[in-house]
Amino acid sequence: MQTQRIEYDDKIVRQFIFASVLFGAVGLLVGVTIASQLAWWQLNFNLPWLTFSRLRPLHTNAVIFAFVGNMMFAGVYYSTQRLTRARMASDLLSKIHFWGWQLIIVAAAITLPLGITTSKEYAELEWPIDIAIALVWVVFAINFFWTLAKRNEKHLYVALWFYIATILTVAVLHIVNSFELPLTALKSYSVFAGVQDALVQWWYGHNAVAFFLTTPILGIMYYFMPKVAERPVYSYRLSIVHFWALVFMYIWAGPHHLLYTALPDWAQSLGMLFSLMLWAPSWGGMLNGLLTLRGAWNKVREDPVLKFFVAGVTFYGMSTFEGPLLSIKSVSALGHYTDWIVGHAHGGALGWNGLMAAGMFYWLVPRMYGTQLASKKAADVHFWIATAGIVLYMVSMWISGVNQGLMWQARNPDGTLTYPSFVETLIAIRPMYIVRFLGGTLYLTGFIIMIWNLIKTMAGKTALVASTEVVKEDEKPDPDAGTVVDVVTGRPMWFSIVAFVAATAFVFVSLVPAIVLAVAVLVIGEVAYVINKKERAAGKPSWFGIIERRPMAFTVLVLLSVLIGGVAELLPTIFVKQAVPATGSAQKPYTALEQQGRDVYTREGCYVCHSQMIRPMIDEYQRYGEASRAEEFIYDHPFQWGSKRTGPDLHRIGGRYPNLWHYTHLMDPRATSAGSNMPGYPWLADGKIDVELGSKKLELMTTLGVPYTPEQITNAKADQQLQGEVISKDLAAQGVTVAWDSEMVALIAYLQRLGRDQGVKYGVEPVKTTEVAPPAPAPEAPPAAAPAPPAPAAAPEAQPAATGGGR
Amino acid sequence: MSSENPNLRKYDDILEEDNHLPNWWLAILFGTIVFGFGYWIAYHTTDTFKSPPEEYQADVEALKKARAAANPTSEDALVALAANTESVTEGQKVYATTCASCHGPNGEGLVGPNLTDKFWIHGNTGTDILKAVNEGFPDKGMPAWGAVIGDTKARNVTAYVLSIRGKNLPGKEPQGNPVE
Repeated sequence: MQTQRIEYDDKIVRQFIFASVLFGAVGLLVGVTIASQLAWWQLNFNLPWLTFSRLRPLHTNAVIFAFVGNMMFAGVYYSTQRLTRARMASDLLSKIHFWGWQLIIVAAAITLPLGITTSKEYAELEWPIDIAIALVWVVFAINFFWTLAKRNEKHLYVALWFYIATILTVAVLHIVNSFELPLTALKSYSVFAGVQDALVQWWYGHNAVAFFLTTPILGIMYYFMPKVAERPVYSYRLSIVHFWALVFMYIWAGPHHLLYTALPDWAQSLGMLFSLMLWAPSWGGMLNGLLTLRGAWNKVREDPVLKFFVAGVTFYGMSTFEGPLLSIKSVSALGHYTDWIVGHAHGGALGWNGLMAAGMFYWLVPRMYGTQLASKKAADVHFWIATAGIVLYMVSMWISGVNQGLMWQARNPDGTLTYPSFVETLIAIRPMYIVRFLGGTLYLTGFIIMIWNLIKTMAGKTALVASTEVVKEDEKPDPDAGTVVDVVTGRPMWFSIVAFVAATAFVFVSLVPAIVLAVAVLVIGEVAYVINKKERAAGKPSWFGIIERRPMAFTVLVLLSVLIGGVAELLPTIFVKQAVPATGSAQKPYTALEQQGRDVYTREGCYVCHSQMIRPMIDEYQRYGEASRAEEFIYDHPFQWGSKRTGPDLHRIGGRYPNLWHYTHLMDPRATSAGSNMPGYPWLADGKIDVELGSKKLELMTTLGVPYTPEQITNAKADQQLQGEVISKDLAAQGVTVAWDSEMVALIAYLQRLGRDQGVKYGVEPVKTTEVAPPAPAPEAPPAAAPAPPAPAAAPEAQPAATGGGR
Repeated sequence: MSSENPNLRKYDDILEEDNHLPNWWLAILFGTIVFGFGYWIAYHTTDTFKSPPEEYQADVEALKKARAAANPTSEDALVALAANTESVTEGQKVYATTCASCHGPNGEGLVGPNLTDKFWIHGNTGTDILKAVNEGFPDKGMPAWGAVIGDTKARNVTAYVLSIRGKNLPGKEPQGNPVE
């Protein structure tokens, strides 16, 4: 037996805090910028890299991965060392992790405004950066698990369980969702298409929220809340129940992002039901946080740190109630595609993540410098400003979302749409966009006050070196550790397996056996509960006590819990061919020019504001046309369904408007759609597509299973010219000069193709547009400025519906 | 309590208690699980309720039927409408705001073809015209108005166009084929 002094590595913690604060400010600033662009379109300045659709991914990535990511790493590195009473296993790995992550962030900040994107939300970074993320994450994982191996504390505290779940699951999610085939050094295509791609993406997207923004922060809460409050954690058994329930159930909930889409209905139902079941496990975390403060509520009044934690946990509770609510199909019908979702996301990001981060910084920074917070008062001011900002943000988005959702659905007694003009529903919510901008600005102001406060706290101080004394006991068998046999024969595990098998069988059988199985599952749960209660009363050590001191076993069990949901939902969708068209007609792949235009569409981030997924609802049928079907997307690598309609759906835009309308609208959206807040994309008229890449793109798509003929690949260049000239000549006939190989023409070709599963015939037969293009129409009006063809100019006030938003 | 429980420990001075799970919390947990089984039985095991796609199909059918019933679109019905002064007057209003900018204030043609001569690109029957109004010819610059103005206005404006058919106002040069 010998005593050993262990010095904690707090330098790495300070570095992560610094990075988090810096990038947090940047992320919020970009957020406020894009919020202002939605209220005042002029602020896009017609600059490509400053345009909303390119900055929005930068905002989400900065907040999620740079701000919360670095905050999480700071919290994990600080608490893991103390909970294991061991220094991080390798300072070198810590350093690689830190600098690697910051380089990734810088790469993101450069590539996203340049339009280098995969267009998959929260996974927009292109393939070389994806690889870097995977590598850095593995470094983090090695460092973390190595530290666990070296630990001087036998048992793993609940915070560490959450860290384990985070590290494993994020790795799985990131890798699977990044399956993509590179075209060039900075461009790749998802190997999944259409429905599959959408499901994989939202399995990832939802669980990025779950395992990047939630579980690590819960772990941090479990460490810091009792520390700061100096109170015991409320309930160990609640932490077991809600941890395992969260880990198992969260992964199934992804399809709630795809309710009413072309995703098979059974998967939608699973997504909805698991989301509902997540309500209690989520609130378990909130309870364990808030009830830890029993007997310490007086401290909340005095200590700004606790204020932030309490408010943060409360916002977590609100968000995790709102989430299940929004996952109910009929609620999603109203809320999906609207600002309600945006408000929900920000309740979580600003309320839960932002306030927890601030609380942690306010507690850690003074402590690491052996001093007091420079100004408690300023921290209080920050707290109230931030809270007011969040409330303004959430309430304005609720009003905006519900209002617009109802306007979209509203129908007159005669069955026509009450608001046939999309722009009308946008103009109605504009005041809320201004309120949201104010809320965000308040929040940013509070954040800046925090930066000042932290800097002042550190100023002139030297960081302390924290250490602890550990008693190294001689190696001897530990009677409580249990054996592998104890782990695999654990009763809770077998109860879960039997219940899960019964529940799986339930899904496939007819009514009577289904009822029997459902009852059986509930009985199994009840029996497990009763047995457990008795054993606990008898003071027996539990199976959980055994796995909590065996990190390897624990990790494997977490991995299995997480994988079940993913496998059950993804595999059937990926491997069951649903590609047989219900309409009886074969889907046509995009032509080379349309594919080029599609790449322009993803580069500019059109999906940020436009969906390509008409839901099976009567109002959408009237507004946009026939509901979108799964087979229409089988060649969409990546899918472009979108998740928000700041503008109207585009899935059946093809053929609805003449080429000139699209040209005019893209050059200046307000020329065709008065009141639109869409940025202009005038640079598309000058930008040239890389014609040479056309055949390479088709070839790559062939590898992904898109049936191009060898001729199509060899003739790609000529085909692009043929199709491009049809459009450019049509435009020229109406007085607009734009090159056939311009990005504008390619994008128009793509847009005119959308929703026509037979494709548009080009080539041998000249397309109709040239055949009968109206000879020099409207000679009295210069075409570029002229709102495309007929009506818009005629009576905009009487028929705003005729304009671009009119669809 | 914590002192007797062998499963509770102390980590970096953090203590744990082992309080009961609140009953209302358990009620939510089991309640949502029971609801899940019930929902699945109602929608998937049995067909007690219609799934969203089925509901949608029914809604679309109902809408189509209601439209057809409220707005007969047969040739006879449209011709009869063209004889109805009220409909034609209403149609003229729609024409003035929606169509006149391209087809001229009186149908003599401007950017769009003359609607009063005997030359027609897409036919001159009531059903032809209604189709043109509703679905348009976007490739040629004629937007689809059906979704925008609704069935009643579409029929009225068709009635108006039928009423000026053959007036032979001087205007845009002939386009399309002569129709007697």
